[in-house]
Amino acid sequence: MDVMDKQLSIRNRNLTKPAVYAGLIVILSLLPLLIKSPYWLHVFILIFIYIIATVSLRVITTSGQFPLAHAAFMGIGAYTSAVVSKELGWTPWLTIPLGALAAMVIGILIAYPFARLRAIYYAVVSLFFGIGVLQILFVFEKWTNAYGGLIGIPYLLGATKVPYYYFFLGLTSLCLLALYRFEFCRIGTNLKAIAQSYMVASSVGINEARYRVIAVAVGCFFVGLAGATYAHYNVVLSYTSFDMLATLWLVLYAIVGGMGSFAGPIIGTAVLMVVPELFRELKEFVPFLSAGILLVVVFLMPQGLVGLPQLVRSWIVRRRERKAITHAS
Amino acid sequence: MLLEIDGLTKHFGGLAAVSRLDMQVNKGEIVGLIGPNGAGKTTVFNLVTGFLQPTRGKVVFDGKNITGKKPHVIAELGIGRTFQLNPLFADFTVLKNVVASFHLRPKSSLLATYFNTATYRRNEAYILEQSREILQLVGLDTVSDELAKNLPHGYQKMLGMARALAIKPRLLLLDEPLAGMNPDEIDFSMAAIKKTRQQGMTIVLVEHNMQIMDLCDRVVVINFGHKIAEGLPGEVRRNEEVIRAYFGGEYVA
Repeated sequence: MDVMDKQLSIRNRNLTKPAVYAGLIVILSLLPLLIKSPYWLHVFILIFIYIIATVSLRVITTSGQFPLAHAAFMGIGAYTSAVVSKELGWTPWLTIPLGALAAMVIGILIAYPFARLRAIYYAVVSLFFGIGVLQILFVFEKWTNAYGGLIGIPYLLGATKVPYYYFFLGLTSLCLLALYRFEFCRIGTNLKAIAQSYMVASSVGINEARYRVIAVAVGCFFVGLAGATYAHYNVVLSYTSFDMLATLWLVLYAIVGGMGSFAGPIIGTAVLMVVPELFRELKEFVPFLSAGILLVVVFLMPQGLVGLPQLVRSWIVRRRERKAITHAS
Repeated sequence: MLLEIDGLTKHFGGLAAVSRLDMQVNKGEIVGLIGPNGAGKTTVFNLVTGFLQPTRGKVVFDGKNITGKKPHVIAELGIGRTFQLNPLFADFTVLKNVVASFHLRPKSSLLATYFNTATYRRNEAYILEQSREILQLVGLDTVSDELAKNLPHGYQKMLGMARALAIKPRLLLLDEPLAGMNPDEIDFSMAAIKKTRQQGMTIVLVEHNMQIMDLCDRVVVINFGHKIAEGLPGEVRRNEEVIRAYFGGEYVA
């Protein structure tokens, strides 16, 4: 391929990418016309919400920190917004940003002391923080109804599914756009630099602690937003949606999709949330199914599901080459 | 005087890695810091650049006391450094390694960066141009799209120096810039260091390679954390204590 061709193909790819996204959004916006089942709309809405959660989880990991308390921050957003709107009668449109901010503020408060910890130490300490922070629910049992679950949360858009579908399609698209810009401007570059070598990063003047706090703040804000909107969609909250196991599911979605790229957690969340629904009769076996998918991905697709097309392409090329060799000889 | 080290001491438990070290570096000089393995050379670098906190003593850079300041603050004040084991941004390309290292000058605010303002775009265009210039200086312009981790060792060392230059330092600390290089790479690196110096850079370097001694205006020799000699390269080479430290007492003429 000569230089001119190369430039042209690059230019074409630059055009196809936004076209693909636009097409995807159009298809997704037409979906409620085809799918009348409220159950499947519910599944899609949950996928939209959890995509925000897993992508915001990955934002924190790009800075080399591995948070194991992410669902807890989703819970902070959810319970803050739910309790405030229920007890004070504020509109969810006000309490949702409040919930996201609450998750962010608590994220920042713990990010400063945690900025001294690295790698596995960070993961373990954040894991215990996630377990600990849920205890707040029991302290404020009067409002959160800890074990019993919180009910009577005001609806954001009423009881039918379709408005929520469009609301979350829009919200998730906007969040992804915002986080995409975050990753691919210099801020994201600095986070990745810190992850690769914090020593080199600080030797060129990057304030490691500051950027790690920024990563946590952004990640927690968006997961808090996901949690808060979830609260006013589901209108019932149970603390089990935000415990350690819930965090591990988020991590699983992200890893299966591929932590190395922006699209990874999106694809991982969509696939791992749809597949169990297809085997609904086997509900008890979902953890086995997901673990099986994880094993297959880890062994065969080191890049995650995102790397699948490239894997297939290189497999085809290799096959073709082998054929050419056998023909020649 | 650009850098003044005054009574610098660092204890690791009971071990004195650096002990009451005094050292001065003038503007425009190349100073060699040499000594046998384990003499404390790298520790001195880490103390000056804030990666370690001194037990006692003072580091003054350009009239400003920088003792105990954080590494990124010291970088901002104008001290660039390379590392002996030369960690890199391994998954970035060569060019991106340098571009990412241009964090300080010019600097865009977080909001300008996020919202892609005209200032940010202008800064980034300038940074790209400067990065290519630096890569040319260290001879890496031909491999600028390779991933840093795929480079041969000698190139990686030069990339370390390119990165340090990206912060536009006034003082450059090079930790074994020639270690593990083949003769061609050594010649090339020496030329690059000379060129940098001609542009007015002040350099302190740690090195075992004796070729580089001839580049130095002055050499400081340390052993077991103590300064044992200081002077012109030729003088130091004949110094009895230096010969004793390197080869043992029986070689002293």
